[in-house]
Amino acid sequence: MVDLATKSLLHDKLRFLITVSGVAFAVTLVFVQVGLFLGLMDNASLTIEHLDADLWVTSHNTPNIDFAHTFPDMAVHRVRSIPGVERADNLIVWFMNVNLPTGAVEGTEVYALEDFDRWNFPWRLSSGNREDLRRGNYFILDDSAKKRWGQFEVGEYREILGTRLKIIGRSLDAKSFTTTPLTFLDYRLAQRLNPSQLQGNTTYILVKLAPGADAGAVRAEIKRRLPYNDVFTKSEWASRSRRYWVDSTGLGLNMYLTVFLGCLVGIVVVAQTLYTSTMEHIREFGTVKAIGGGNADIYLILGKQATIAAVAGFALGALMAYAIRPLIYKIDLKLVIPTQLSIAVFIGAVVLCLAAAMISFRKVAAIDPALVFRT
Amino acid sequence: MSILKAQQIEKHFNDGRETIAVLKGIDFEAQRGEIVALEGPSGSGKTTFLSILGCILTPTNGGLVIDGQRVDPKRLPAIRKKSLGFVFQQFNLFPSLTAVENVEYALNVKGFGGTKARTEAERVIEAVGLGDRRNFLPRDLSGGQKQRVAIARALAGNAPILLADEPTANLDSQVGGQVLDMFRGLAKEENRALVIVTHDPKVRTIADRVVRIHDGRLAA
Repeated sequence: MVDLATKSLLHDKLRFLITVSGVAFAVTLVFVQVGLFLGLMDNASLTIEHLDADLWVTSHNTPNIDFAHTFPDMAVHRVRSIPGVERADNLIVWFMNVNLPTGAVEGTEVYALEDFDRWNFPWRLSSGNREDLRRGNYFILDDSAKKRWGQFEVGEYREILGTRLKIIGRSLDAKSFTTTPLTFLDYRLAQRLNPSQLQGNTTYILVKLAPGADAGAVRAEIKRRLPYNDVFTKSEWASRSRRYWVDSTGLGLNMYLTVFLGCLVGIVVVAQTLYTSTMEHIREFGTVKAIGGGNADIYLILGKQATIAAVAGFALGALMAYAIRPLIYKIDLKLVIPTQLSIAVFIGAVVLCLAAAMISFRKVAAIDPALVFRT
Repeated sequence: MSILKAQQIEKHFNDGRETIAVLKGIDFEAQRGEIVALEGPSGSGKTTFLSILGCILTPTNGGLVIDGQRVDPKRLPAIRKKSLGFVFQQFNLFPSLTAVENVEYALNVKGFGGTKARTEAERVIEAVGLGDRRNFLPRDLSGGQKQRVAIARALAGNAPILLADEPTANLDSQVGGQVLDMFRGLAKEENRALVIVTHDPKVRTIADRVVRIHDGRLAA
């Protein structure tokens, strides 16, 4: 069979390039915008995902992991005594000020536990030992801090809330949505650093269930014993933390709007080039009808051309998005492109290109084959 | 029996204010192997009549009989596929397809596929003398060669009726003559009916019969 659709599409290379560029632009925009959004969302719940807790006890109405509120840390004993709880520990998450050697004051988000090793947290270390944190005025600092704090080395000191603390390790990939650098230090040290707010208080209780324990029953019992706290499963808490940023910052709306605009630009470019191409080839389509072809034959040609433009545009757009990814990493942002997103964007590109071709379908349906006799 | 028969064909067009009768009751017949030249001044209704014979336009009144079967206006595309081959004044080749692909695509539309379509396309391209130009795009062919491809496309698929609209209008006198001679030879050889609308006096020389249309009627 002669592939008129492909040959005709590739015959005008410039037009084909414009069509494919339109689709590629839309695809890149969607990948970058959604990928950045997913990257930010990933950061919003990154620490929750990496802490090996099945249940999180929070103070009432805590909106997300970063904006913690305190409650008495003795509550942990009530949780530990519940059947089905393998272990429960206090976790403090708190913003503190840091005096840098330059004289500047920066912020840090402190994660404080009694036993970091038990929770395998922070999960990636390029140097240092988690167990050493409890041995003095020490802290582990995430590598990403160098952007806001400047270069640092293990063994150097920084002043947190007026106390000199030694950097004993460097973690990797531990980030928060707020972009404030994360530090990890001993639970008691955190309480000593800010006694007015943290002495005798915690911000979370991490709960690890015993094998075979009924999560629902344990959760209900924690709620019964701590009626002024909330209890979330890991996934609920991660989702709540992400949703806060989506809803409160307009980030979600911004993403949807940009994705919508990207798709709109793509569909307009494809529709316009396909329509112009259809108008320029109207005599050819008239000839198809005159020699016995029907609308279906022409729809097939236009549909195939739209699909080819979609596939080529998707490939080019995806390539550009992947090429941009290392640049985005360089500015400490993440571009997350999961397989599901790629599949959805591919299907979206094909569907939108076919939708764009519909405008040409309407024109083609009205072609009078008698036009082939006109000069 | 006539392969093509038009009975009392009338065609009216409405321009919004008045109805214009372009064809006013034309009776016409063509036999297999017969070549008919359809002449007439501009605006006489020649092309409209050819469009009706080609099942592209439906008559306001009257009807067509092709190969003994009355033409059903609802089945015009199917009849065009099976029984009709066209040659246009502007050639109307697909610019992105080579000479042989232009013919093969027409065969694909007519329902022929695969090797059968390719073989038939090669055969007719050879028959019109373009074997050595079979893989040329239309832009690389001369006017006469383009019209030969168009004739090959009309011949492919064994349609018993060939309709040509001013096939020599865009060709110089010498090339036009060659194309007409070849067209006549192939139509006769393959026993097809050929109806040619023309202003070109040379067409008279190859036609078995000349029919004149004047003011929407066949002239005596």
